[in-house]
Amino acid sequence: MNLDPAQITLVEWGRRFGELKQSGLPEPSYGGPLERHLLDGDFRLAKLKFDNSQAALNLWNFLLTEEDRLYADRLVGRKIIGTMKDLGTIPVMAYSLPDVTAFYPDGTWWAPCVMELSSGVLAVADSLGLDESFCPVRAMLGAFVSKAHFPNPDLLVCSVGATCDDFSAIAQRLNGIGYPILWWEILHRRKPESGDVPVQLPGGFQCTADQVLFVENELLRVKKAIESLAGVAITNDKLTDGIRAANEVRAILRELRRMVFTADVCPLPALEMLVAEMLVIHFCSDRKESVIVLSGLLAEVRRRILLGRGLFGSDAVRVFWVNPVADLRVMNLLEECGGRICGTDYLFCHAFDAIPEDVEPMKALAMMALADPMVGSAGDRSQRICNDIKYFGAEAVVISRIPGASHCATEGPIIADTVREQLGLPVVEIEVPPLADAMLPALNTRLTALIETVKAGRIQV
Amino acid sequence: MIFAGIDAGSRTVKAVLFDADGMKIIGSGIKDQGVRQSDLADSLLNDVIAKAGKSRKDICRVVATGYGRNSIELADTTITEITCHACGVSHWMPEARTVVDIGGQDSKVLRLEVGGRVRDFVMNDRCAAGTGRFLEVVASRLGVRLGDLGEMSVRSDKAAAISSMCVVFAETEIIGLMASGETPENIVAGVQMSITSRISSMAGRDIVEPVIFTGGVALIPGMDKALEKAIDRKVVISREPQLTGALGAAILAARNADGI
Ligand code: SF4
Repeated sequence: MNLDPAQITLVEWGRRFGELKQSGLPEPSYGGPLERHLLDGDFRLAKLKFDNSQAALNLWNFLLTEEDRLYADRLVGRKIIGTMKDLGTIPVMAYSLPDVTAFYPDGTWWAPCVMELSSGVLAVADSLGLDESFCPVRAMLGAFVSKAHFPNPDLLVCSVGATCDDFSAIAQRLNGIGYPILWWEILHRRKPESGDVPVQLPGGFQCTADQVLFVENELLRVKKAIESLAGVAITNDKLTDGIRAANEVRAILRELRRMVFTADVCPLPALEMLVAEMLVIHFCSDRKESVIVLSGLLAEVRRRILLGRGLFGSDAVRVFWVNPVADLRVMNLLEECGGRICGTDYLFCHAFDAIPEDVEPMKALAMMALADPMVGSAGDRSQRICNDIKYFGAEAVVISRIPGASHCATEGPIIADTVREQLGLPVVEIEVPPLADAMLPALNTRLTALIETVKAGRIQV
Repeated sequence: MIFAGIDAGSRTVKAVLFDADGMKIIGSGIKDQGVRQSDLADSLLNDVIAKAGKSRKDICRVVATGYGRNSIELADTTITEITCHACGVSHWMPEARTVVDIGGQDSKVLRLEVGGRVRDFVMNDRCAAGTGRFLEVVASRLGVRLGDLGEMSVRSDKAAAISSMCVVFAETEIIGLMASGETPENIVAGVQMSITSRISSMAGRDIVEPVIFTGGVALIPGMDKALEKAIDRKVVISREPQLTGALGAAILAARNADGI
């Protein structure tokens, strides 16, 4: 049953699900109607618009059942590792072992939006002294305390050092209230100077061999901890296999991004792309299934492009989006204003790069950790953003400030200036809180003005 | 052919009738904003049409702009105030390269290409400190009319230093200044400097002349000088600064090119 691509509401998905069922929809174990997640308190879904494909349904169901998977893993005795402030390094290591699940507690930052503040996680964080002057990722603290979003992990690992101050403060508070954390240090990436041995990193960055060695040693400590938890050694062969499997996910996502962002007519909405991209960080707690879900999405995108079908018309303005939004509704809003996503940097674009397979696996992971745009200068990050904007052919840039996030105030203007100077594209900065309802008219004005600016330029050229 | 633009701002609604063949304004009006924005705009437009000796059927197309644009039922379409202000200012001053618009509840800086197209913009609609709202607060605190502030600031001998970045706290600071004997004139001048320094930091370094000042706040004496000082550029007050948004909307209604 292949319909024309469209965005539909939750209620419309209910009807569509019935039709798909009747036509013999093959469902994964986590399948079912999207509406059922409302009963879990995911009230925001009622205000979002979703892609109408079966592949998108699988994506959403996969995302929204992660909690169930984690509790099921706990029941069957799998070891659960919470990997914090880690956008795609330790999970690769953890998933190299068959009976270990890694998850990303930081992901709870979307809970206040998805549950429309009903989960109370922000209030708990407030009560622990981490108020709205911190990044919304403080929701994670509330999730640990309320024990409502994931089982207590067997091991908690967190990177520290050249990461953001907000997260360090939040994780230290978590540590302080009785959650032991294995810290590993990530260095601030620096360019080689004379006398240094330079190392070329994925994403076009450079650092020194000493830095790679330092991070590799830090990761070795984490590796030992995982081995002792699992009672199994992570051999080089196992880790190499794990890296290959992670690279498979990355390759699918790279192709998905290339196809979606460069297609003449947008084949997949911004919201589904955001969810899909997030799977690269920790595979939504099931690496094998994430491959199936993402392959399904890629097949649907390919089908649509081949048929010349898509959403929003060919005149939709091609927008590059910087930083994730705390309120998912805003991704729909961009499209309502006449835009479409053509390129993103949600703070983890290095996780789409292939992990080098031609070096020792631990060294490869250390290099990936150092390739994180956030552990270098804002200038480095801006340059990568400019390169990606050119690659995807975006016409405008939205920089979405994260309220309270310490890095946003300084790096936003640097990114904006670099984009303006190098590419001459219009840039707009917005700020999106976890529930942006009251700000939607103001956000609408900014996004619409950006779209108008680009369209006016097209007419005059 | 005649086109209409309506700018539904936070404080006032403005309407402009534009004769696209003569390329001139043939009528305009301003009304205080109210709860029923659409009705207000309707009656304002009727008044303007009547004064211009025209009838509703003479109007080919209506474009609404401003923060309340989406509630104006009589509009054929809507366009943001960013695009409309740029268009309105460029009509009178085609050489304009930067537009500073300070309204009752928001402020924006537009960078224009030669020819008047928006190249880029920044906007503040979340903090009252860089908007006309700050002036309302100080007027009420000093017990004077909003319209008197300009004359007061001109009589200032030294602008008072207002250090708070937030209007609520600045109000407390103003009370303190009054208690310590600071003159109301210097306090008003200090508030003007505070507003314009917010605009300056929002605008950044890339401010190209000519800089055109528009929006209701541009009408208040002293604000242009405060802005010049803050951004270190010569500032020219736009013709009819309150009407540039509505004028731009009317011109864009006439251009009818996909709303742009
Ligand atoms: S979003 Fe920014 S401030 Fe928040 S945890 Fe991530 S890097 Fe830190």
